[in-house]
Amino acid sequence: MSLKNQLDSIDERSHLADCIQRVADERCKQAFAELFEHFAPRLKTFLIRQGTDEAAAEEIVQDVMLNVWRKADQYDPQQASVSTWIFRIARNRRIDRHRRARPELDPSDQMLQPQQTEQPDITVNRQQIEIVVRREINTLPDDQMDLLKAAFYDGLSHAAISELFDLPLGTVKSRIRLAFQKLRRQLSEQN
Amino acid sequence: MPQSDNFDHNEIYSAYAAGTLDPAFSLMVATQAALRPSVERAVARAESIAGAFLENETPTELSDGALDRAMALIDSIEPERRDVTEGVMQAGYALSEILDLPEPLRSSALEACGQSGWRALSSGVKRLNLDTGSESTAELYRIEPGQMVPRHSHSGEEYTLVVTGGFSDETGHHVAGDLCVKDAADTHQPIGDDDGVCYALAIRNGGLKFTGALGLIQRLIGQ
Repeated sequence: MSLKNQLDSIDERSHLADCIQRVADERCKQAFAELFEHFAPRLKTFLIRQGTDEAAAEEIVQDVMLNVWRKADQYDPQQASVSTWIFRIARNRRIDRHRRARPELDPSDQMLQPQQTEQPDITVNRQQIEIVVRREINTLPDDQMDLLKAAFYDGLSHAAISELFDLPLGTVKSRIRLAFQKLRRQLSEQN
Repeated sequence: MPQSDNFDHNEIYSAYAAGTLDPAFSLMVATQAALRPSVERAVARAESIAGAFLENETPTELSDGALDRAMALIDSIEPERRDVTEGVMQAGYALSEILDLPEPLRSSALEACGQSGWRALSSGVKRLNLDTGSESTAELYRIEPGQMVPRHSHSGEEYTLVVTGGFSDETGHHVAGDLCVKDAADTHQPIGDDDGVCYALAIRNGGLKFTGALGLIQRLIGQ
């Protein structure tokens, strides 16, 4: 990916984060429409990849985007990029569909909040993780990228990937390990 | 199952991030991530990878009017104020302890309190059946200080994650964030630590078979 493209995608990411903020703060419908136009078509591709038929995929996309509207105030840019956050919502909605209907509790409700607990000594810097993953993922060789996608995006087991790509299981494991090692390098090691 | 940010476990984290891991085990991974920074890091990295692939995804056009439908949908929902009081009242006993559990276990336990409710297993030991949508059984145990869970064996594997407090069994002492795995050949008899209530999340495939007198009773009444 060229430097210009990288800078464009950084701009786009911070623009999308602004949109969520405007939905949360001002219930801004224009910002929601922008999020919809960006993410809904990508979510649809993802769901169809997972074997969902077109009509069901559209229905789930609507459901996910409605949740983006409802939960916008829970989005924390320090914790995740917008696409990671929305992916997580989509994943959870898909899992929820397998469960029985039940009364829904709202975990953000004041009554359900835990008492203030002490901050743990080690806090996980999710923002740094996001930066490293975004920076390194596009530099991976295709053979590693394809397997990483099959595992982390399609959620296939290593055995299923081995069959699908007609590769020995050991090769699948070592390629994914190599790719993952690159994505977990610390920022300080990279300059 | 993850005890460290060790790459050998990446298959669990990738399935978790993508949403293809069994729901009971997903609950366990998410709970352990809330207790162990190394697990949280591994989960964050896996989710970030999935998010990056979504970002790079090729768009597929939606059907005509999809955006209009979405805008109508958000117009139709009122600012929500869900009535949670009922669920909270039903939860009743041990509620403040449950509220201190990490998410998503807390929500799952609150829901279960309003549905199946706690069952006493023996003096000082109760369990709550969690509905995760999995074929596997997921249960939350509450063990009072110094109390003993009846000795039991399993027909399949059993995974137990200590959530708060600690317990000891034949294999040692386990504290919050620890995960114990038992297979069908093991029987064990956990005893809660003396210095506080222990909560543990247990997941297993086959039904847990209790040995001893209680086991006989359980089989007779078909539990």
